[in-house]
Amino acid sequence: MIRNLNIFLIFSSVLMLSGVYALKFAIENTASERTALIALIDSQEGDLSLLKADEAVLNQPGHIDPIVKRHQLALAIEPVKQEQFGSFTAIPMRPAKPNSAAMDSLFLSLEAGIDPIDAILELEGIE
Amino acid sequence: MSVTADDLGSTIALDGGRKVRGNLTQARIRWMVLALVLGFGLVGGRLVQLGMVVPDTTIEGQARDAITATRPPILDRNGLEMAVDIRVPSLYAEPRRIIDVEEAVRKIRTVLPDLSEPWLRDRLTGDKGFVWVQRELSPAIEDRIMRLGIPGVEFLTESKRFYPGMSEASHILGSTNVDNQGIAGIERHMDGENVALLQDLGLARGNALAPVELSVDMRVQHVMHEQLVDAMSRYQAIAAAGVMVDIHTGEVIALASLPDFDPNQPATALVKDSFNRITAGIFEPGSIFKTVTLAGALSSGAVSITDQFDARFGIRFGRFTIDDFHGKHRILSLPEVYKYSSNIGTIRVMQAMGKEAFRQFLTSMGFDARVPFELPEMRLPTVPKELSEVGAATASFGHGLSVSPLHMVAAYAAFVNGGNYVPPTLYRRDQAEAEQFYRRVITERASAQIRYLMRLNALEGSGSQMNKAALGYRIGGKTGTAEKVVDGRYSASKVTNFFGSAFPLDNPRYAMVIMVDEPKRENPQSGTTAGWNAGAVTGRIVQRVAPMLGIAPDFSPLIDEQLVPPELR
Repeated sequence: MIRNLNIFLIFSSVLMLSGVYALKFAIENTASERTALIALIDSQEGDLSLLKADEAVLNQPGHIDPIVKRHQLALAIEPVKQEQFGSFTAIPMRPAKPNSAAMDSLFLSLEAGIDPIDAILELEGIE
Repeated sequence: MSVTADDLGSTIALDGGRKVRGNLTQARIRWMVLALVLGFGLVGGRLVQLGMVVPDTTIEGQARDAITATRPPILDRNGLEMAVDIRVPSLYAEPRRIIDVEEAVRKIRTVLPDLSEPWLRDRLTGDKGFVWVQRELSPAIEDRIMRLGIPGVEFLTESKRFYPGMSEASHILGSTNVDNQGIAGIERHMDGENVALLQDLGLARGNALAPVELSVDMRVQHVMHEQLVDAMSRYQAIAAAGVMVDIHTGEVIALASLPDFDPNQPATALVKDSFNRITAGIFEPGSIFKTVTLAGALSSGAVSITDQFDARFGIRFGRFTIDDFHGKHRILSLPEVYKYSSNIGTIRVMQAMGKEAFRQFLTSMGFDARVPFELPEMRLPTVPKELSEVGAATASFGHGLSVSPLHMVAAYAAFVNGGNYVPPTLYRRDQAEAEQFYRRVITERASAQIRYLMRLNALEGSGSQMNKAALGYRIGGKTGTAEKVVDGRYSASKVTNFFGSAFPLDNPRYAMVIMVDEPKRENPQSGTTAGWNAGAVTGRIVQRVAPMLGIAPDFSPLIDEQLVPPELR
């Protein structure tokens, strides 16, 4: 009885031992993966910070202005002059609407057979 | 029992032997127990000892977190980065882990030949846990050193401040030291506020910090910087500086001072003469101070815009006579006093106000103390506590007292915005916030009259050079040519020139002060007075920045007519 129990205990302890070691190695593995990922994120954050700095440099007016000046001739561009700005008051007013009442009366008289132009032409002697 | 013992003596001996063996076993067990207790005690003691050790996480006296800590990015008012953090590798060594110092020294010097050999050997020898070798290197160098495979030589990623605008906003931003702590400018001010606390707590890591928004507009800043650089060469000046503020909120839109430095190389900030002339430079303001005298007198009611002043003869104070530069020597109206920049007329205006009231007005304008401002580089103005008769007379046209250009721009802003003094700031501030700081210094009526006088001076007076360039932007201003004191007397050839201005005067939004120090003639036809240099620079700046600031040109003469006070129409 005792012997069987001992055999069982020995086997179970060997099993548990291997289980514990497997867990230990798995954890160590995960930890090293984590470290590698942290290092990767760190280096990528570093690259990102450099790219952001690059972008900031490229966006500076102090960086763009010399480029504009360099290509001033080729692109035929110049700083804006005051005279180039218009104002709302300078925009012409909408043209006057046609006198629809006069047109209506003209068409009505034409329909009625009276041609006012014809009367003028006759008066002038042009036929 | 004793009889038995006598008969069986050998049994007694047998009993003794068993007893001896039993005793021996017991003694062995005791020794074993003692050995085990001692052994475990030793292990336990060591554990307690290890538990008491405080691990040294500092790097040469500084917390590791403080070194890897980041600073918040600084943005201009349009969200453009003015300062960002970049991650850079820094080389350090753990001397106690280095096996062969000579080999390590030789190998490191193949990549970093600038390091001195004895210094490096000394650095790597010993039992220290951490020493810096070289900080803020490039990723390429990191790669090459890692390839060498020296044990005990490692890299740590540090945050380094980078200023993409280079020297353009140097005096606003200031700079940081190698430990990423602000040592000048707004960087230092930020540390004083909250970044230092975050770093101490080890929280300021990653990019989690909210960016700091400044009131500066980098486009305007660029134009101002560029024009000042141009002025330095055009007029062969020894220095030039300028500042522009929003008159309603006190926000500084641009601030530049030349010669300047590159904040990416903080050592260049130590060069002589590269100090911030706007905040830390105090100068005799010269005639731009006449605006202050006139504003005070008009506001007090002692003089009115229609008054006449006798400027026929110079004013005598004992042995001295104060006269005009280009004297008209006739009776001048108040607008003429301003237009012709008459010293005599200004003294008469000040005298009408009374020197005590005039001195009181200077105090109310904040000319006795530093301007409340974020930059740490500040100097106290020197304005005499008590003004003598002659002292008050010279002070009325800006001599015998020294103030910073920032004082002047804050005063000009108050004069044109309706009469409210608002302390300037480098942080974003909206109208409602700014109104809490408002302090009335002159009346609304006097403010309108000052706007008219400034515009008049641009149209007919010393500001006409400036107005030529900035035509249509309704700018007005006052020139100031202050002679420098050389060997105890005023020198006619060495002058400091100022131009204080505001635009667009029909609905003023910005005030500006430009300074050009010791300018020479641009060509034989021009002069060295302020209108030729500081004024012209102002005009060119306004011409370029007004469209950026959303100000459309308007050539209508009606606008200038409307600026004329009703009394003079």
